[in-house]
Amino acid sequence: MSALPRAADGLTRVTIMQGETRVSDDPGVILTTVLGSCISACLFDPVAKVGGLNHFLLAEPGSGETDVRSLQRYGVYAMEVLINAMMAMGATRSNLKARIYGGASLRDGFRDIGATNALFARRFLRDERIALVGEDVGGHGARRVEFRPTLGLARCRIASDRPVEPPRIVRPPAPVVDAGGDVEFF
Amino acid sequence: MSPSLPPPRNEGTPVQSTIMTVDDSPSMRMLLKAALTDLGYKVLEAEDGVHALERLDGAEPDLLITDINMPRLDGFGLIERVREQDRLRNLPILVLTTESSDEKKQRARSAGATGWIVKPFHPDKLAAAIRRVLH
Repeated sequence: MSALPRAADGLTRVTIMQGETRVSDDPGVILTTVLGSCISACLFDPVAKVGGLNHFLLAEPGSGETDVRSLQRYGVYAMEVLINAMMAMGATRSNLKARIYGGASLRDGFRDIGATNALFARRFLRDERIALVGEDVGGHGARRVEFRPTLGLARCRIASDRPVEPPRIVRPPAPVVDAGGDVEFF
Repeated sequence: MSPSLPPPRNEGTPVQSTIMTVDDSPSMRMLLKAALTDLGYKVLEAEDGVHALERLDGAEPDLLITDINMPRLDGFGLIERVREQDRLRNLPILVLTTESSDEKKQRARSAGATGWIVKPFHPDKLAAAIRRVLH
């Protein structure tokens, strides 16, 4: 994550990389990310005026990871990290609204990784009863997303019409999925 | 005619154990229930600490697995309230959370938690942890 100085518009743009999550209650912040087959969920609480964005990928092309539950565990984890960070900043779960972006088509054998990511995000939001108020997913191009966390407003532009490159999977530094489930007894 | 024999007991298969899971995320509860059911456990679910206390009124699970960050009553509060009850004083409690700070682990330990598992949980590690506290 890298915070840039305030631009001419007076707003500070914070770039979110794959595997990262960021929340803010600062009206002067724009969270931005570039997506191919990855997915970003932009969540916001319009009452608390807190919002956040994550950027995650369920499976790496060619990883051979086909265990649906394993992929879901990571996806749920990625979403929970975002939701918990927002709640710590004053958001209320029942107030949350969502926008999702990304999930550009990327074939890995018979599987479309981008579509799998988008499907997961939609299903998660439905199961969690979080209103999906906007989305721009699928297609073949890379997207640039800019999200105003306190307003819940997002702008999504196609950054490139070329088919997206296979992403290199990046998990959050700790805990990572392979090391997940570490157990400590008291 | 000889009396019918009871079905063979598969030692080590915890078919009789009941686990209560407490998490405000329906998605996480579904994943946990699937994993625990696969392992042969019965599962009771609660969506936060208050709901868990209500369900514990009429139930005697063998293990409680709880998240920390939940509305109404969080995992720390739940553990403290459970430990106040004589009937539940020895109930094993595993915390399952995205949190990993030492401060929060210490708080859970002081409240009376048995162990701490960091999400995303790995089914094999979860199974081993459960076996350790149940057997």
